[in-house]
Amino acid sequence: MPNAAIKSTAYCLNHTPELGFHYGTTPYLERHDKPDSRFLADLPRFIQSYGDAARYAPNLAYIGAMTIGQLEKQPRPWHSNLADAPTRFGKYGEIMPEDEFLGLLDICDVFDLVWLETGFAESVREKLLVHPVLDAEVLKRLKAGRAAADIGGEIANKGALPLFFAGEVVGCCRRAHEVDETLASHVILENLACKAGSVLALLHLLKKAGMGPGEVDFLVECSEEAVGDMNQRGGGNLAKSIAEIAGCVNASGLDVRAFCAAPVNALITGASLVASGARRNVVVLAGGALPKLFMNSRDHVKKEHPALECCLGNFAVLLTPDDGTAPVIRLDALGKHSVGAGASPQAVTTALVWDPLQKAGLDFADVDKYAAELQIPEITLPAGAGDVPEANAKMIAALAVMKGQLERAAIADFVASHGLVGFAHTQGHIPSGVPFLGHAVDAIAAGHMKRAMIIGKGSLFLARMTGLSDGASFLVEASAGGQAGSLTRDEVKTVLLDALADLADSLRNAE
Amino acid sequence: MGKLTGKKLILLGERDGVPSPAMEACFAGSGAEVAFSATQCFV
Repeated sequence: MPNAAIKSTAYCLNHTPELGFHYGTTPYLERHDKPDSRFLADLPRFIQSYGDAARYAPNLAYIGAMTIGQLEKQPRPWHSNLADAPTRFGKYGEIMPEDEFLGLLDICDVFDLVWLETGFAESVREKLLVHPVLDAEVLKRLKAGRAAADIGGEIANKGALPLFFAGEVVGCCRRAHEVDETLASHVILENLACKAGSVLALLHLLKKAGMGPGEVDFLVECSEEAVGDMNQRGGGNLAKSIAEIAGCVNASGLDVRAFCAAPVNALITGASLVASGARRNVVVLAGGALPKLFMNSRDHVKKEHPALECCLGNFAVLLTPDDGTAPVIRLDALGKHSVGAGASPQAVTTALVWDPLQKAGLDFADVDKYAAELQIPEITLPAGAGDVPEANAKMIAALAVMKGQLERAAIADFVASHGLVGFAHTQGHIPSGVPFLGHAVDAIAAGHMKRAMIIGKGSLFLARMTGLSDGASFLVEASAGGQAGSLTRDEVKTVLLDALADLADSLRNAE
Repeated sequence: MGKLTGKKLILLGERDGVPSPAMEACFAGSGAEVAFSATQCFV
């Protein structure tokens, strides 16, 4: 079966503490219910500054400014053992400051819904002029701005949401309809934030791959936002809107939704499109989830722990035909959590790990690293959600014991050697295995790793349509030679006929 | 009769821990009534 190559990867963070403080679901609901609450008053004291976020080891690992090995060696707690100097750009992307991200929001708005104050828009333009991946075509979308009084009027009278920087109102996000709740200002802001993150990751991806935007054939977007209006709430194709901003004039796209399992499902979808020859190349990408910023901050503040959920996460992956060089997604050994698989941890892990191993004829130890749910433990542990990556690795190790492939006493060693430390923000779909893909591809290409398994799990039950969860997985490994090294049935026939003709010739000559 | 017969259960699960359908399966046949069962996700 043909596979698809992972040609390039990009990962970016958008440091957006003020968007989070005002519009993250947890502080937003608190402000609605108890505007004078102690939690809201205290939260700003615990928020990580940009300088610290750009020195925070998990963030550096996410953008490729630090290897996983370096992250593992970094003393803990990471939030108080920061790197010596801030790093904005890494091998895979960047950590973008909030003022520039608000500029990117404006760039991504094609319906005049984001208004930035004139002076602020100009200051952002000056900064973005020297940005390494935003070219003149993209930058010309940044609007000139509006008077502060006009912005104040929209906020006071027309339901627009204020946008803040350094505690000041610097713009607003307007509603796109007076009645339709799916086009309300907070929905538009979430969708634009998600779109902007994807655009940034896509532009980094294209630069890294040395590819022009016109060369992109197809995009598969896999965030958790619903774009549409009241007649088609999740109408979709955010992918195409992202392609438009990035100048991918020859591309179209589609969206894949499956909660946090969407990125793995989208990568399988994109790889299948490429491997079948239906699309020349596919970019799989997603922006971040604004509502999840500071999702666990109530517990962080209560425990006087840094409120680290201040960054939107996003990624983009370029899939091309297997050319025999780049690592591939194996399409012959996919994991799938089916309706009847069962909900117990054992059943889920069997479906997502054991079944694909069986299909590939592999043992548990044949996979160097299992990447399942890579949330930063310093975010989840104080909130009572445990060390999620470690918990998943333990489940895999326990299953290996049950299958007779691991001694019970070796579980801890297995978790240490085949599991991963978490380095992704609690952005739902973002941490679900995919952040490791960049590191895995590099390690496989360098010969330091043989294979990895990427596992995504999704909480479908949150939509109240089913009580089920979901999951999908795939193996990444070195190419076995690519499609260039394999033959079609017709090519085999031709080779056989040539050989028979040669044989006939040699027999004739022998006579 | 089991010691849960006639009791009512509230089951709160977590996706990456033990989800509530798995708990419901464990209590099936215990004689208890599941009054509420939900799985949550904090990531």
